[in-house]
Amino acid sequence: MNRADRAAVWFALPSLFLVALFSIYPICDSVRLSFYRMILMLPWLGEKFVGLENYADLVIDPVALVSLGVTLLFVGVSAALEVSIGAGMALLLNESFRGRGFVRAAVLVPWAIPTVVSSQMWRYIFNDRYGLFNFLLFGRDTSRYLAPLAEPWLARAAIIFADMWKTSSFAALIILAGLQTIPDELYEAAEVDGASAWQKLRRITLPLVKPALLLALLFRTIDAFKIFDLVFVMTQGGPADATNVLQFYGYKKVFAEGMIGYGSAISVGVFLISLALALLYIKLIGARVLEPGAAR
Amino acid sequence: MKPWPALLLLPLLFSSVHAADIRFVTWRDTQGFLDRLIAEFEAQNPDLKILRDVGPHSSTEFHDLLAQKFKNRDRAMDVFFMDVIWPAEFASAGWALPLDRFFPRDAQKQFLPAAIRANTYGGAIYGVPLFIDAGLLYYRKDLLQKYHFPAPRTWPELVEQAKTIVAGEKDAGLTGFSGQFKQYEGLVCDMMEYILSNNGALWDEARLSGALRSAAAEEAVRFVRDRIIGEISHRGVLAYQEPESLALFSEGRAVFHRNWPYAWAEANDGSKSKIAGRVGMTPLPAFSGGASAAALGGWQLGISRYSRQPELAWRFVEFMTRAETQKRVALWTGRGMAREAVYRDAEVLEKYPQFRTQLEISTRAVPRPSTPVYVPLSNIMQRYFSAAISARDSDIDRLARHADREMDRVLDLLRPRAAR
Repeated sequence: MNRADRAAVWFALPSLFLVALFSIYPICDSVRLSFYRMILMLPWLGEKFVGLENYADLVIDPVALVSLGVTLLFVGVSAALEVSIGAGMALLLNESFRGRGFVRAAVLVPWAIPTVVSSQMWRYIFNDRYGLFNFLLFGRDTSRYLAPLAEPWLARAAIIFADMWKTSSFAALIILAGLQTIPDELYEAAEVDGASAWQKLRRITLPLVKPALLLALLFRTIDAFKIFDLVFVMTQGGPADATNVLQFYGYKKVFAEGMIGYGSAISVGVFLISLALALLYIKLIGARVLEPGAAR
Repeated sequence: MKPWPALLLLPLLFSSVHAADIRFVTWRDTQGFLDRLIAEFEAQNPDLKILRDVGPHSSTEFHDLLAQKFKNRDRAMDVFFMDVIWPAEFASAGWALPLDRFFPRDAQKQFLPAAIRANTYGGAIYGVPLFIDAGLLYYRKDLLQKYHFPAPRTWPELVEQAKTIVAGEKDAGLTGFSGQFKQYEGLVCDMMEYILSNNGALWDEARLSGALRSAAAEEAVRFVRDRIIGEISHRGVLAYQEPESLALFSEGRAVFHRNWPYAWAEANDGSKSKIAGRVGMTPLPAFSGGASAAALGGWQLGISRYSRQPELAWRFVEFMTRAETQKRVALWTGRGMAREAVYRDAEVLEKYPQFRTQLEISTRAVPRPSTPVYVPLSNIMQRYFSAAISARDSDIDRLARHADREMDRVLDLLRPRAAR
């Protein structure tokens, strides 16, 4: 280790310490708790080590399995939509036009609003009596008003839509950064050769922006897996468990039912799935993005 | 000038106004009685100030908020509202303070016995009852009279009357019945009323095992699916809680309606209801061979184990639940109160004559079984009832057996250590 490396270690220490305190410690503690049977409302049961019992229960718990299905559906649909829309937005924002700076800043506004606040806004929009959604569809004919958050498929769609509204611009930002690394000379050379706009997109832009696209997909997938606040504010997992995503189910187990051990097992399950996804993506993206100096 | 010296004086300014804050976690009160009572309390007790922390309207979400505060040993909560099904859980977890030294046996005697039982756990009392609710059957007096029907005494009779009236009225907007069938705590109350009035039970409290697969319970659930929902209700009731189901009745679009006592005043309020003055109220029907069963509901005030000032908190709880306050809240809101004397008060009876019937029903109302693991059991039952009544061809027997197995596992936790 040379002197520069040793200095680097010192600079990295504070952030390593914070990561250890706020990420690694809670994860380890959740894993520990998931091996115990601990029920807040029955303190006389004490903390009993039960090994893998919570996990054995989890894999055959029909509610958890439905919940996993709902979560996967949400992750698949919302991540795909967000990255596609984000890519479209990024391509637009990469063109030069008047007021581009303003538009670039403006698309980030949904991302900047805290999710609890925007969830509350969507809850009002989808309200069955005074919601804007119904007003746009049916005007003043209140007898036809729908209750989107009370219908299983509409409720799922509403949550996906709200997530899309918020995070597409985040995907756009990452993809835009990727687009800006593509040198202009490539496009100029292509124009000289008489390439059409479509050919330039297919042959130059897409291959070169692929790492950024995958990175956006990685962030969105993992983030979507952790969905909690939208569900908490908009539907509380209802109607009839239609939006009962894993994180919300785990929260209910711990805070409503007091089942600390079982709820922790659910959280650890979510953590392991996200970890597996992250490793998969890193393999897919390969060395290109993650190793220094290899970005081009 | 530097702002410093002035800032240092600020605390002094406040401390001269009052000596202590009582933090009160409550739901949003749409009837305005809390504002009035708190203002009066503060006027009578200048040394105390009530700081209100307003939680969610839904009882389930309110429970989760309280559980979170308790789990964090939050000292910023002294007094809290407690649903009738929570005292056992809060007592067992050590979250609610036993109130026996403030609220002795002879003081308890002035409240409806069912309400006191609901607040008692392991021989100690954990809450002071404020409101008492019991399930009631509301009906369209005018329509029943028109067809010469008495108020129904059995569920099949109710279905037949509803079918005759809906067919006779030729009004496309009219349905026979409106109740609460969404997947939430209210569903357990509604379904319990059918099951108990058919001599069934939610679970066997003595043997600590599920009882939903008993013939009586399954028959009641099947009746709700095939006849109440299948024949005389709008399918929308499967997504209704109290307000939506009451709105349908108040718009004149349901012949029968199951709700709590507060619905009487709402349905008879001409500014909110199209059927004011045409509403009847009676005990819920039963199945033949069974007796009418009304679910007991209601709200209590509890004091947190983590409060630093339980004596001061008690002064507020005592004010909120004393006889004179109860009478005035009854006059303002028409809600069912927990003190028995309110129901015999001449002034109250003059304004709300239905309080006579209500007392009779509330006295006999059946609490949901009291247990520290009520919430997990309720979640299992909510899933089961919702699945069983929502699909026309649900396999009720299979769903009931499954629900029982899950309930057995939870109930098993209550067995004494040696037996496990």
